[in-house]
Amino acid sequence: MSYETWALALLFAPLLGFFLALVVFRDRHNVAAAIVIAAGSVSAAASILLCVGGPQPTVSARWFHIGDITIAFGVLLDSRTLLMGAVVGVITLCIQIYSLGYMAHDPGKGRFFGFLALFEWAMLSFVYAPNLLQTFIFWELVGLASFLLIGFWYQKPSAVAAAKKAFIMTRIGDIGLFVGLILLFRATDTLDIESILTLYAGSSAGGAPTEIIAALLFMGIVGKSAQFPLHTWLPDAMEGPTPVSALLHSATMVAAGVFLFARFHELFMAAETTRMAALAIATFTAILASTMAVVARDMKRILAFSSISQLGFMLMGLAAGSLFAGYFHLTTHAFFKALLFLVAGAFIHRCGSNDIVAIGRQGAARTMKVTTFGLIVGGVALAGIPPLSGFFSKEQIIASLGQASPIIVAGAYAAAFLTAYYTFRMIFLVTRPDPESAAQPAGPADPDHAHGEPTWAMNGPILLLSLITLLISALSAGALVGAMSEDPIASILGQASHHASIAEMAPAIAIAILGAVLAFFEFGKKGAAQTGIVARMPGLERLLANRWYIDAIYRHTLVALATGIARVSHGVETRGFDGGADKVADATVASGRQVARRHSGRLQLYIGGAAILFALAVVFLGFRG
Amino acid sequence: MDEFPILSAILLCPVAAFVVTLVIPGRQSGLIKGVHGIFALLSVVLSMVVWARYDTGWRENGDVDRFQMMEDVPWVPDLGIHYILAVDGISVVLTLLNAIVFLTGVLSMWTLTLRVKEYFLFMAALVFGVFGVFLSLDIFMFFFFYEVAVLPMYPLIAVWGSTRKEYSAMKLTLFLLAGSALLFPGLISLYFESGGQTWNMLILAQEGTFTPKFQVFVYPFLYLGFGVLAGMFPFHGWSPTGHVAAPTAVSMLHAGVLMKLGAFGILRIAIDLLPSGAAYWAETFAILATIGIVYGAFVAMRQTDFKYVIGFSSVSHMGIVLLGLNVFAAVGAGDGGSDGLNGAVFQMFAHGIMTALFFSSVGFIYDQTHDRDIRHFGGLIGQVPVAASFFLVAGLCGMGVPGFASFWAELLVFVGAVKVFTPLGVIAIAGLVFTAAYMMRVFGKAMFGPKNPQWDGLDDVGPWSALPRVVLVGVLVLFGFLPSVIVDVIRSAGVVSHSGGM
Repeated sequence: MSYETWALALLFAPLLGFFLALVVFRDRHNVAAAIVIAAGSVSAAASILLCVGGPQPTVSARWFHIGDITIAFGVLLDSRTLLMGAVVGVITLCIQIYSLGYMAHDPGKGRFFGFLALFEWAMLSFVYAPNLLQTFIFWELVGLASFLLIGFWYQKPSAVAAAKKAFIMTRIGDIGLFVGLILLFRATDTLDIESILTLYAGSSAGGAPTEIIAALLFMGIVGKSAQFPLHTWLPDAMEGPTPVSALLHSATMVAAGVFLFARFHELFMAAETTRMAALAIATFTAILASTMAVVARDMKRILAFSSISQLGFMLMGLAAGSLFAGYFHLTTHAFFKALLFLVAGAFIHRCGSNDIVAIGRQGAARTMKVTTFGLIVGGVALAGIPPLSGFFSKEQIIASLGQASPIIVAGAYAAAFLTAYYTFRMIFLVTRPDPESAAQPAGPADPDHAHGEPTWAMNGPILLLSLITLLISALSAGALVGAMSEDPIASILGQASHHASIAEMAPAIAIAILGAVLAFFEFGKKGAAQTGIVARMPGLERLLANRWYIDAIYRHTLVALATGIARVSHGVETRGFDGGADKVADATVASGRQVARRHSGRLQLYIGGAAILFALAVVFLGFRG
Repeated sequence: MDEFPILSAILLCPVAAFVVTLVIPGRQSGLIKGVHGIFALLSVVLSMVVWARYDTGWRENGDVDRFQMMEDVPWVPDLGIHYILAVDGISVVLTLLNAIVFLTGVLSMWTLTLRVKEYFLFMAALVFGVFGVFLSLDIFMFFFFYEVAVLPMYPLIAVWGSTRKEYSAMKLTLFLLAGSALLFPGLISLYFESGGQTWNMLILAQEGTFTPKFQVFVYPFLYLGFGVLAGMFPFHGWSPTGHVAAPTAVSMLHAGVLMKLGAFGILRIAIDLLPSGAAYWAETFAILATIGIVYGAFVAMRQTDFKYVIGFSSVSHMGIVLLGLNVFAAVGAGDGGSDGLNGAVFQMFAHGIMTALFFSSVGFIYDQTHDRDIRHFGGLIGQVPVAASFFLVAGLCGMGVPGFASFWAELLVFVGAVKVFTPLGVIAIAGLVFTAAYMMRVFGKAMFGPKNPQWDGLDDVGPWSALPRVVLVGVLVLFGFLPSVIVDVIRSAGVVSHSGGM
């Protein structure tokens, strides 16, 4: 089959799956699930084949035209889309299969699979978009699908609130994206992404208009990729079923923001000021989020904070100028983060609790070999300890910061240290519980949500993602020691990777190991108190556990402001406009009454009045005459 | 066109329904509904035929007129009043809108039992007036139909309504008559200023008919007069109150088409005839429109009655229409102006369908519960999944989610607005956040969340009652995926003789 056929199959299979699963077979759960997984398999296979096939000319069909502008719907097949598309395809398929096990008992299973297909369709159409309009449309639809999935358990008020928050917070960023895309279109007079990139390629100083456009686009990225100050929706988004979190945090939704940065990398490189601001925001976010993870006990929440932090890392690499570094970390992170969420889901599924202390106490790690294996592979990769993949990509990012200010570099190291620390804290608390140390009471286990040992449908994807993570690690390690000429991901992207010497890599390795060792002494060592260093500083712990009070600050300022304006508007409406209109009406009626009272029917009065008027008229006319 | 007078035929559909209903005894309510259903369906079919026959190529091809299928019969020749019907791309679209809302409105009132005959008589009169406005090219006829459309609202709300119905009906009537009081002198001045020969818009729209000074003076009368009916801020107060009090199909017609008459009047008469005046005032009115967008969203955030939320969302969404029209008024067909115009007309259509869907969904729930307080509901999506899904679709459309018609309409208006009035365009786009906020609030409180066991026994929408709603959703999705179908038609009317900004 030609690549065009694959490209079309890639996009239309999930759309068809969505329609069939949600509209036709919603109540026949297993049929719906089978259709969606079949569609997911087609997309995954097509995306891999296309990726292997290498860049091809864009496939597009005229969709419609407005005025002189022709809008096409199509598939752009360059190195950036090919790699991301394959990542999305493979991870989504893994998660769909995993959901077979995880959602087996859910009464809304058919609907769930329908939404998963919608999510995949939106994300793939976004990634492969050849023009600005398609980019924007599917960016929005990715947001819609996330909303539907986060709020999937709609009876749960917390899930509904989280879905609402995710939608509104990302929409704040989308204002910037929307205006930015309109301005970009006006500035370049084309919707075609390749032409736009050609225009900006190589120009280092684009001037104020370029800065504004880049800043507005970055606003959209801040919302979608949960960067400070719009990061607060992502930790709450774990209210959705765990497979959704796995998808949301790895290859879709939050990845869309980073991908947009990579997609328009040439444009951002031409906007020096915005690029520097983005670098600062990303670094700050990376540190901020990892401090929150240090004290969290909810396994999914720890992973959510780590996502925010790692997204910060990706954007640091991209903003520092290295397309490869950011993109590489996006890829490695997508696999190990999806893996970690599936692992977390398996533990939660088994133990009925999100609390890592409670999971550890139940001794789940002893019986769940595959899950524990996945936890260790994913955790080591996340912590950035060689020889697993996270190390290589994080190392590329730190290397790309060479030109940046020392503060940024120090920030990157700090975030890397914290990452290793909280990751190993999680691993040790889950795998090496110390029943003697009742330092903190475990949260109550919820027997309603405990479903027993994971099935093959859950273990299979965990194993597969572990193997992919190991494979990427092996390939990168091979490139490093010279067994291969170039890192395979770098060669797909057509970018050069930075070949670091051992001396250059030493600080990063040392930092990561230091974090892991600290975690070992506090949590892993036999007889350790399992109380973190932060937990011994109650003030700091409270600050971090309350996420620096950022949510509270928003609630008391921005949310209060918006509701205040709404209340004032409502008051103006009821008392001002409505009340005013009523007053006018009342006054009209009252004046009518007054006049009516004069019409009493007493003839004398009328005659008298007429006489006075007549006299006045005579006098008046006499004067004039 | 000497063949079949198809536009008169459309206009006669509600008249025929009216006349036939007159001779049917009031007891036979089923027959009355059936007659209306048939004529409404006929008007939909005829409107689709008009759409299909309308030649969009007039701009490229000099032989084709912008206004087609014209019928011109002198009516009161001494005063220059003619019965002129014709359509351009804009009225083609709006005529179909009215027909669709008529049909779905009749279907939504299938369960009505109170004074069925009288209800449908008034409704037919209303629909007749709306068709007349969309099809007329004679200002006198236009105004005549306009009043015919507006007046039946009073009895429809006062008799068949709910929640302070007399108050609302009176408020609506007074507001709209105040608007008419501004319109009437404005329209008459057009007639006399042009020499008192004709009311024909095509002749009056010729360049040089009105001096710029006159245009600047008269334009606000027409804009404000029509603007009241379009729900323009700050004269929108009648609209949400009226929605709340009106029965389902009247709300559907009211928000679906009646408010469009105002916007259509601004476009067809005020802007087309007085382009210099329109350009002069464009910025002022664009500011008011933008305030309306944001203000409507904020007020909607505080409402507890489903219908009030939708009522204020209409204020906000009609603000988008008015913003688009003012973008067009400011620069004519120039850079961004045609986007504004296309978007505004598209939004009239999309909003009409969307609000009809909203009101028919809410009406379905209200008919069973006699409660519209969103705090009294919860988890409706689990209790009545189909009915709630229709509401969700309307809500998503209202938030401008891609895949539904409103997305394109709003996109076009915003593109135009950012080009012409950059700060206003940005504010209007920011309004999307607040739109999302109030929609999400209703979703979260009533559609999702813990269910209220009181409503466990509600009947869900059955196949028959789903029909009108499926039609509406189908239209929203169709134009969501194939916007060019409608934009091609609208745009064919896009460039008018425009001296103002050119």
